[in-house]
Amino acid sequence: MNRTVARAGEHSSLLEVEKLAISHGAVPITTPLDIIVKRGETVAIVGESGSGKSLTARAIAGILPPGINATGTITLDGIPLMRLSERELRKIRGFRVSMLMQDPFTMLNPLMQCGDHIDEMLRDRPAFASRAARAKEVKRRLAEVGIVEEDVAGRMPFQLSGGMCQRIALAAALARDPELLIADEPSTALDVTTQAEIIKLLRRVQRERHMSLILITHNLRLAFATCQRIYVLYAGSILEVGDAAAVERQPLHPYTLGLLLSEPPVDVRVHRLVAIPGFVPRAADVVDSCGFANRCDWAKEICRTGKPPLMARDTTRLTACIRQDEIQSELDSLRMATLSATEITPRPAVATEALVRIDALVKTFVGRQGRPICAVKSVSLHVMPGESVGLVGESGSGKTTIGRCLVGLERPTAGDIRINGIAAADFDAMAKADRARVRQTIQMIFQDTYSTLNPKHSVGQALGEALGASAGASSPATPERIAGLLAEVGLSAAYSTRRPVSLSGGERQRVAIARALAVKPAILVCDEPVAALDVSVQAQVLKLFKRLQAERGLSYLFITHDLAVVRQITERIYVLYLGEIVEEGPTERIIGNPQHPYTRRLVESIPRSTIRNEP
Amino acid sequence: MRVPEIGEIRRRKQRLRIPIVILLAALIITAVVTCAVLGEGIAPDSPFRQRLEVGDTPPSPVHIAGTDLLGRDVLSRVIYGAKTALVGPIFVAVGAFTIATLLGLLSGYLGGFVDSAIMRCVDFMLALPGPLVAIVVVGVVGGGYWTAVLVLGVLFTAPDTRIVRSAVLEQRPLPYIEAARTLGISKTRILFLHILPNVGPIILAYVALDFAFALVNLAGLSFLGLGVEPGTPDWGRMLFENRNILFSNPVALLLPAGMIILTAVSMNLIGDWLFERFAK
Repeated sequence: MNRTVARAGEHSSLLEVEKLAISHGAVPITTPLDIIVKRGETVAIVGESGSGKSLTARAIAGILPPGINATGTITLDGIPLMRLSERELRKIRGFRVSMLMQDPFTMLNPLMQCGDHIDEMLRDRPAFASRAARAKEVKRRLAEVGIVEEDVAGRMPFQLSGGMCQRIALAAALARDPELLIADEPSTALDVTTQAEIIKLLRRVQRERHMSLILITHNLRLAFATCQRIYVLYAGSILEVGDAAAVERQPLHPYTLGLLLSEPPVDVRVHRLVAIPGFVPRAADVVDSCGFANRCDWAKEICRTGKPPLMARDTTRLTACIRQDEIQSELDSLRMATLSATEITPRPAVATEALVRIDALVKTFVGRQGRPICAVKSVSLHVMPGESVGLVGESGSGKTTIGRCLVGLERPTAGDIRINGIAAADFDAMAKADRARVRQTIQMIFQDTYSTLNPKHSVGQALGEALGASAGASSPATPERIAGLLAEVGLSAAYSTRRPVSLSGGERQRVAIARALAVKPAILVCDEPVAALDVSVQAQVLKLFKRLQAERGLSYLFITHDLAVVRQITERIYVLYLGEIVEEGPTERIIGNPQHPYTRRLVESIPRSTIRNEP
Repeated sequence: MRVPEIGEIRRRKQRLRIPIVILLAALIITAVVTCAVLGEGIAPDSPFRQRLEVGDTPPSPVHIAGTDLLGRDVLSRVIYGAKTALVGPIFVAVGAFTIATLLGLLSGYLGGFVDSAIMRCVDFMLALPGPLVAIVVVGVVGGGYWTAVLVLGVLFTAPDTRIVRSAVLEQRPLPYIEAARTLGISKTRILFLHILPNVGPIILAYVALDFAFALVNLAGLSFLGLGVEPGTPDWGRMLFENRNILFSNPVALLLPAGMIILTAVSMNLIGDWLFERFAK
């Protein structure tokens, strides 16, 4: 099925993967995949969690975890990798194929100096037999990844920032001058601005060395901005292949379109967020149907009878949608309709008393050896009733600390917090009635969807307890009230008997929202509420937030690093940098015309921050 | 991003399978428990009836495990001995962990002064040489078996408190606890309804390990003559009484010794398995 592409680039293809099927025992993780990477080409494999993209990358590098098997052929420059022994493979890894992993901290040996990671890779070569020659080369390699400070090579990984560690890891991966670099989510664990730098660096190095690059990512925008060709992977099958620009202009598969539309654009506040219903299935559950059929608006009986093959639409593009011919015009028009939707102007805040007001908040933690660590330095902000406000900053900016102070999980060192007119800086010092009133005004949604619910309690128990905690618990938490809460977050009453382990990330976050809503709060503090969710599920939860705001007149304080999310849901934002607010104002103005250099960097760091509107 | 698929599949497979070793260990424990509960019903003879004219004899069809120096049936004594072998350690393990769970929950969740006070006491108790203290206390105070059980129970509290406390500290910063706090749910409710069920598996696993330690310690004390009354059928005591007839009836010594080892190892294995399976 991939013949056309294969033949066109035969003379120059570096890596050919044919019928690569990965399985865990008898459970399939991917269906047979075909991937081709030409010399000097950048290819992205895009997929959500559970799509099998990371294992595909590991199969290519020959480092699958124990118990996971792969069949098929992987040919690197004419060498069949799958048939090589471990010894022979070692001559390929590093020298011809190298890998860059997601977490820069665990990728480096914590007991080895940074320079030694590169030194180790050079040792085999006769040219670098002497210690002095290696030291000189290490310095040159570090300069290549933009590290010019003299002493970095002698430092330990934990002394450096995530971005620095990732640069060192990249230098180590490149030390043996591989022809192919596989980067598995190289920027996901990093801060937004660092992310952009690493990706830029990766692009530059790739171009300078004329190296092939496979970028594994869940971020479609990043893939479009970085790579020439895109493979869209979903539940273990490739759904679409094509040139990045062409795919972005006109997706041929409903899933690609859904993914594209559910990633909120940063430059436009879209009228209505499009979300793909449901969640990613296991590859094993969709072996003989289109993996996307259950979430697809266009699915017909034919989609569920057998796995649709990947078929060529023209010389460079393939899609696994068998109904593509029939539905293409609908896909195009949906895309146009969503992107060209008119902007809604946010309601002007009615000038009443602020629901939440923070004045000169300071929070200092005691660090190692009693040294004070200033997390928040004199921050003032307010949220009006019914208003949705964003608090944007990177890790270490103190944004989470502010949220935790608001709900009484941290006690501020200095400053004043007023919630609904009640002084709430110190929860322990408040009168009992006041504390109860504050708790019924403000609730929090947490980032980590996996531990936000007590694993030992059923959904019904969790909601029942929250209902019991509200309003002095005058009325008992009846099954009807629990069902009502579940209905509000779009879940059926049947969920009340289920335990958190059996729920997906999106469902857990919905239950967490329902739990917070149980006390009928006026404002929710949302700490990165969608950061841990898959892209297609993110949009569902954001839609839920929007709906609840419209129905209940809820206010939000959105704590996030993701400007695109903030763009869709907030009316006003505060930009936080190193514990201080550096810029504030209406969302449109801040993102459209950032004044502070840090805000500008933040906005610029978003890959492909604008959506292309031409059909 | 999360890549759960491998682990999830692996975990699901494990759920169906209990290792054969654990089944065997469970079988041994069940057998010991049966002996302890139905002692009189299944013992072939009274463990107290002496036949001085017979003396110690090697295994024979009448006395499957032979007789000891006073002509008492060894098998019956081993079956009766299961009672003291189980009851004491159960009291030690459960008692120690009940106190330790309370102290650990308070210490881990409240922190601050309460935590410091409890932990300093624990540090002090950890500095004491456990079995030695037991020997001294039982030797001075008297009271035999139950004093030994009490002393061991108190001494075991110290390390157990540390275990519970560290498990609580692990749960405390998780969002579900913080969400409960923001909802204004009372401390007692959070401690006993939220944290306790989640540290429960760890406690259960360590109770099993404590049991094994207590069994060996109590047997040791009985061997030294500080445990049960002389004449009581008890595995540790039998080791002491029958050490001189090793060559005329080796079974009289090896059977109780083997039972101590088997029971302790079985409990250890079950505890380890519980820990691996549920607490991680």
